[in-house]
Amino acid sequence: MIEPLARRLQILSLSLLALQLLGSDWQSPLCWGSLTLVVMASLKVRNAHRPADLRRGLLAQLIALGVLAGLNPNLGPGLVQAATGLVLVAGLLAQESGGAGNLRQMLSRSGQLLVVCLPLLVLLFLFIPRLGPLWPQAELGRARTGLSEQLDPGSIAQLALDPSPALRISPAQEQDLPPADQRYWRVRVLDRFDGQRWRAGASQGPAQAWAPPAPAPPGAAQQLWLVEPSPLSALPWDGSGVPLNPQITSTAKGELLGPWQTQERRSYGLAASNQPPAWQRQPPARSDLNFAAGSNPQLEALAEGWRQQLPPAQRLAAAQALFQGQPFRYTLQPPPLGEVAPLDRFLFGSRAGFCEHFASAFTDLMRAAGLPARVVVGYQGGSWVPRNLWGRGYLEVLQQDAHAWSEVWLADQGWVRIDPTAWVAPARIRAGLRSGLAGQWADLGLLRQGLPWLRPLARSWTNLDLAWSQLLNYDQASQDELMQRWLGPLRSWQGMVLVVGLALALTLAVGILSLLRPSPRPDQQRRRLDRSLSRLARFQLVPQPGETLPAFCQRAAAQVPELAASLKHLQSSYERLRFAPRGTPRDQERALSRDLGAADRELAAASRRVKRRPVERPQPPEPR
Amino acid sequence: MGSLQQVLAQINGVLLGKSDQVRLAVACLLAGGHLLIEDVPGVGKTTLAEALARSFGLAFRRVHFTSDLLPADLSGLRLFDQQLGQFRFEPGPLFSQVLLADEINRASPRCQSALLEAMAAGRVSVDGTSHELPKPFCVIATQNGLDQAGTSPLPESQLDRFAMRLSLGFPPRQAEAALLSGKSTPLNGLTAVITAGELEELQQQASRVACEPPLLDYVLDLLAASRQGGVATGTPLSPRAGWGLVAAAKAWALLEDRSYVVPADVQAVFPAVAEHRLDGGRPAQEPGGYSRQLLAAVEAIR
Repeated sequence: MIEPLARRLQILSLSLLALQLLGSDWQSPLCWGSLTLVVMASLKVRNAHRPADLRRGLLAQLIALGVLAGLNPNLGPGLVQAATGLVLVAGLLAQESGGAGNLRQMLSRSGQLLVVCLPLLVLLFLFIPRLGPLWPQAELGRARTGLSEQLDPGSIAQLALDPSPALRISPAQEQDLPPADQRYWRVRVLDRFDGQRWRAGASQGPAQAWAPPAPAPPGAAQQLWLVEPSPLSALPWDGSGVPLNPQITSTAKGELLGPWQTQERRSYGLAASNQPPAWQRQPPARSDLNFAAGSNPQLEALAEGWRQQLPPAQRLAAAQALFQGQPFRYTLQPPPLGEVAPLDRFLFGSRAGFCEHFASAFTDLMRAAGLPARVVVGYQGGSWVPRNLWGRGYLEVLQQDAHAWSEVWLADQGWVRIDPTAWVAPARIRAGLRSGLAGQWADLGLLRQGLPWLRPLARSWTNLDLAWSQLLNYDQASQDELMQRWLGPLRSWQGMVLVVGLALALTLAVGILSLLRPSPRPDQQRRRLDRSLSRLARFQLVPQPGETLPAFCQRAAAQVPELAASLKHLQSSYERLRFAPRGTPRDQERALSRDLGAADRELAAASRRVKRRPVERPQPPEPR
Repeated sequence: MGSLQQVLAQINGVLLGKSDQVRLAVACLLAGGHLLIEDVPGVGKTTLAEALARSFGLAFRRVHFTSDLLPADLSGLRLFDQQLGQFRFEPGPLFSQVLLADEINRASPRCQSALLEAMAAGRVSVDGTSHELPKPFCVIATQNGLDQAGTSPLPESQLDRFAMRLSLGFPPRQAEAALLSGKSTPLNGLTAVITAGELEELQQQASRVACEPPLLDYVLDLLAASRQGGVATGTPLSPRAGWGLVAAAKAWALLEDRSYVVPADVQAVFPAVAEHRLDGGRPAQEPGGYSRQLLAAVEAIR
């Protein structure tokens, strides 16, 4: 009935699946679906009485595994998924083989099967047409992020630090990157202010009288950008590069928009450009001066004073003097500001906060002082990971490097980046968050940065992960390109190539399996003999019940003398393989098994040579 | 296995034209079982038994069973030794390596049951004392057909203790011609080809012949078929019968000079091993009828 080993293996695979579910994104309905499948499979396996129950539980687990693989396609989860698949197949094998074999044999057999499937997998990966998402996934859950679409400094009392990577920038060489304090990677421009929070205004998207970016100049230095899943539709960029993919456009506000609907890891290339970006010269809108008059009266009064007394550039300097002269403090645990006039309370009361507080207070000040200004959110900084065995070096930017800064419109310079945080905590900008906090977060990221011997390992892993996601980025466009390159204009060949390739891959799989086949099990030996004997059916020679193999062979040889030799060979090789004591060396057993195969071929050849002729009716056997 | 072939050749020289039966009898000895030879008088039962014992160099005693035979005539007596002034055990003819029991079915059941312990356990109890029999020990019994005068059937329990029952039948014409013209070897001209020690060695060798699971399946299927009653069977085969069948098949394989048993070996010994257990002493219409039907009912290609 149910093999205990099969049950144990299924319990193992179920716990592996449960582990992966724990690490999944619970906002996705697919995750709940696979949870249901796993729960159902557990119940099925627990109450299994018949092999069929176990098989159904296994099928449910395989589907759940597939869904999880779609949810978490990265390298680490991928390895766990592969291990789960291995255990699942081993469980099925343990059941189907009726307990013949221990855990190690089952796992290795299962591994062989999976390896055999690899060519098929590569083929399907390359040739199966890619479907777009069946439904828009924009609202499907929110990925982990350091960024959001709005900025509300008053509401945040404590900001959790997320040391997971946000993006990686891989330039041709490290010198192509700007110096550490100039590494501002813009994502979203927030230009609507209601007195409390900043939001992105109605998009002045690419549709609005915006010339597409100039094509990348040939030979320009290229950077590869790899972005972790994010709920924002805008992509991080350096503000000046030219996207190599023509489907990526930039908006008038200086945001980069990709064509993708789904939240997945994305990679794209940017070519360096020495022309000033167009968005920098895009004149401000009227809304860029809106400061929700009356919401922060104290701040507005101060700015009104500047507006009346100082020319625009001097107003900037006055603000800088304000931030540098007063005892402002950079902290990730600012006191709550409340709902009423939060920026007043920050600027003239607590004077403690992080980038969001500084950026929104400064931007509001500038608007109230009559200068068009807006908040930009994005990432700042990053740490350089040198190249190693597997890949080029890259700049790694973490989610905790999320940052907010300001842009001010100066008539003669266009939009100018001003980062008030840099005035208060220059170390935060120069050397990253940890330096800015100076001792507050001594234990932060101990694993990432603390253990020196772990660092190369971690980097190698990251590089592998990077390569893996570049591989997974193979989408419809890359497939089209590959088809174009391989097949030329005859796209209709794709189907044929797919079919022929499938056949080849299956043949290869069967071939590998038969090569890997251990010496056949007894019932397989018996089946082989039956196959051989069935060749004699055309002479109307069929073993009678109670007739032994030698007796049958003798009878057959008497009737068809041409077959006598091969029948003799068949009989002796079969009997030796079947009845000779076990515990013979394995290779000898293999030799016997091959001998049986040779005998079978001899018999086949001999019986082909014999011309069909009328035969007398078979005599009933005479057992001794 | 040259010596075994010599034994076969020597016995075949005495008992002409009966090579199959001779082979089975030798296999029975190699399997360490007791042999029952049944037939009408005068076809060479006793000759075969004696030729076997002589060729294997076994010490044998011959007892002619009659209706007034007493158990003590077989096992021996406790006598009072006047010189020593105490009782002394005087061993009977059982204490030999081969007991030739002539016309065993003429003795009373009481006397036959005296043989039971000796045949099953290789020892004899007299007046509460156990006496071990010499090794190897085997009983070669002959009996006349049940339709002969003055016979009483062997109880089933004793039949089951005989590993094989052979019936010789009349010799073929040529063999009989050779016999009549005096071409057979006289019985007392036989010398031992194999010593008793070598026989023990051969018996052990036979017990080591490999018997693989597919073959055991075949034997088990045969036993199961005998118990099912689907085929026209007699008494179901006992586990002891199964054990004897395997042992005999191993011995047969050894005679065939093979180190493993194949289904053909089982088929070769099956009628001799099983028929007397199946018919319970009441022969079927056709000789060997029950075992033949069983063999034809169970698939033999394994």
